[in-house]
Amino acid sequence: MSDSTYPLITKKLTMHFGGLAALEDIDLAVERGTTHAIIGPNGAGKSTFFNCLTGLLRPTSGRVLLEGQDITGLPPERISQRGVARSYQITNIFPGSTCLENIRVAVQSRQPTSSFLQHHRTDATTLEGAVGIIETIGLGGKEDVMASSLSHGEQRNLEIGIALATAPTLLCLDEPTAGMSASETRDVVELIRRIGASLTILIVEHDMQVVMSLAQRITVLDYGQVLAQGTPDEIQANPQVQEAYLKI
Amino acid sequence: MAGTRSAEKPGFWIAFLVVVAVLAVVPLWFPNSFWQRLLTEVLILGLLAMSSDLLIGYVGMVSFGHALFFGTGCYGAAYALTWTESPFALWLALLLGLAGAAVMGIFVAFYSTRLRDIYFSITTLVFAQIFWVIVFTWTDVTGGENGLVFSPPRLSFLGLFAAEFTTMSMHWFVLAVVALCYVFCRRVTQSPFGKVLQAIRENEPRTRAIGYNVERHKMGMVMLSALVAGLSGALYGIFNAYAAPDYFFFLQSGETVIYNVLGGIGTLAGPVLGAGVFVLLKELFSTYWSPEYYLIPVGLLFTIMVIYMPQGLLGFLRHKLNE
Repeated sequence: MSDSTYPLITKKLTMHFGGLAALEDIDLAVERGTTHAIIGPNGAGKSTFFNCLTGLLRPTSGRVLLEGQDITGLPPERISQRGVARSYQITNIFPGSTCLENIRVAVQSRQPTSSFLQHHRTDATTLEGAVGIIETIGLGGKEDVMASSLSHGEQRNLEIGIALATAPTLLCLDEPTAGMSASETRDVVELIRRIGASLTILIVEHDMQVVMSLAQRITVLDYGQVLAQGTPDEIQANPQVQEAYLKI
Repeated sequence: MAGTRSAEKPGFWIAFLVVVAVLAVVPLWFPNSFWQRLLTEVLILGLLAMSSDLLIGYVGMVSFGHALFFGTGCYGAAYALTWTESPFALWLALLLGLAGAAVMGIFVAFYSTRLRDIYFSITTLVFAQIFWVIVFTWTDVTGGENGLVFSPPRLSFLGLFAAEFTTMSMHWFVLAVVALCYVFCRRVTQSPFGKVLQAIRENEPRTRAIGYNVERHKMGMVMLSALVAGLSGALYGIFNAYAAPDYFFFLQSGETVIYNVLGGIGTLAGPVLGAGVFVLLKELFSTYWSPEYYLIPVGLLFTIMVIYMPQGLLGFLRHKLNE
C-alpha cells in the first residue's frame, strides 16, 4: 500500500475499555478522493473508531497513519492541524455565535498566528473564506443568524461547514443525516457528494440508502472487528453482512 | 454584515469619546473633592472589574481571587514609592505593580489550564486568601495589618514636566489610563485571539477539535487579566498613598464579581458602571444607615437584579434600546 494513494491507513488499531474490546485489530485504508463508509450495528465500534482517529481517545495499540505520518495518540488540536476534520453525531457547534462566526473561527484556525491587536473583521482572507464555506453549505444569507436559532437541518449543515472550514485532507462525518427529514437528508447527501468530488471522506451512517448512494467503498464493523470490506455491490451481496447487519 | 471591513460599528468611537469627555468634565461641577475622589475610585475599581470580565465574560472562567492581582499591584506600587522619589516614581510604581501582578498571573495561568468551572473559582479564592494571610502576618515586609503608607508620587511625563497631583489631575490621569485600557481590552476581545477564547467559552471540545491549543489561549487571557487587575491595584495605591492587606481580602474579590453581575458580564464597560452603582449605593447606605450593614440592602438589590435583570444594567439598557 503506497501512502500517496491512501491518505489514511490504520494498522491493527485496537481500543480496549477495561475488558471490553471496542475495536480489535482494525486494518483500514482510505483511498484518496473516495467516499468511504463505515457501517455496522449499534455498538459495533464506529464512533470509537472516529474517536481514535481524531485524538479524543488514545488507542490501546495499533497505529494511525495520515499521509504516511504516525498520528497515533496525538491530542485533537494537533490531529486537526495535520488535516483530519470531523463532524459529530450529536450537533457540536458554537450555539451562542452567529453562523458566520462559527465558520470564521474555524477558517481562522489555519492562519499561522492569531493576532491579539487586529480586529477580526479586518482579516479579509479569513472572512472571504468563511463566506465561501457558508455558500457551499447552503446557508447563504444566514450569516448573522445565531447558530442556536437555526433549524436542526441547518445546524447539521453548519456542523459539516465547521469541519470543512479547517481545509482538511480527510473529512470524517459521523452520521451527518441523524434526525433529518427526508428532504433535508436529500440536501445533505447532495452537499456531501459535492464536497466529495474534491475531498477524501470517511463517513459513518445508518441510513443504507445514503450509504449506497455516496460510498465507493464500504467497511462493515461488527463487535469491534472488520466483518467485510468492498464496493457497495459486494457488501450488499455478502451473506455474512446480510446476516449481521442487513437482517435480510 | 458579512463582508464588512470596518473594525468598529459606526458610532462606537463617538459614544466612547462622549462618555470619556463627560467623565472628564462633570467632576468639575461637583460640590467638593469628596465626590470627585469617589468618581476616581469608581474608575479604578471599574478597571479591576473590567479585568475580571475578560475572564468571566470572554472565557467563562469566574475568578474569585482577583484581589490577589489587585493587592499585588497595589503593594508593588507601594514598594516603588517607599524606595524612590525620582521624577519617574509614578511610572516605576505602575511598572512594579504590573510586574508583581504578572508573577501572580503566571501561577494562576498555570493552574487555569488544569482546573475548570467551580474548581478554578475555588482555587483562585484559596490562592488569594493564602496571600492575604501572608501579607497580614509578615509585618516586617508588608507592614502587617497597618499596611504601607507612603507619599504620593508627582505627576510626570517623559521628563517633560512634573507637578504635584491635584484631585482633578489625579482623576484625569486615572481616566486616561482606564480609557486606554478599555480600548485595548476591547480590541483584544474582538481580535482573532479573543474570538478563539469566546469559542472556548461556547464549546471547548469543539474549539480543540478545530485545531486550537486551548491551554495556550487560556493562559494568555489569564495573564492579560492579571496585568490589568495589577494596574488597577497600582493606581489604587497611588491614589490613596496607602496599601492595605484588605486589598487582598476575599471581600475585594467578591465585590469585583458583583460589579460584573450588576453592570453586565461580557461588555467590559458594564462592570465599570456596576462598580459605580455599587460604590454609590454603599456610600448612600453608609451615610443613612450604620456602615457595617450596607451589605444587607446591597445583597437584596443584587438578588433582585440577578432574578429580573440577569444580563446586568448595560445588557438591560442595550436590550431596551434595541427594542
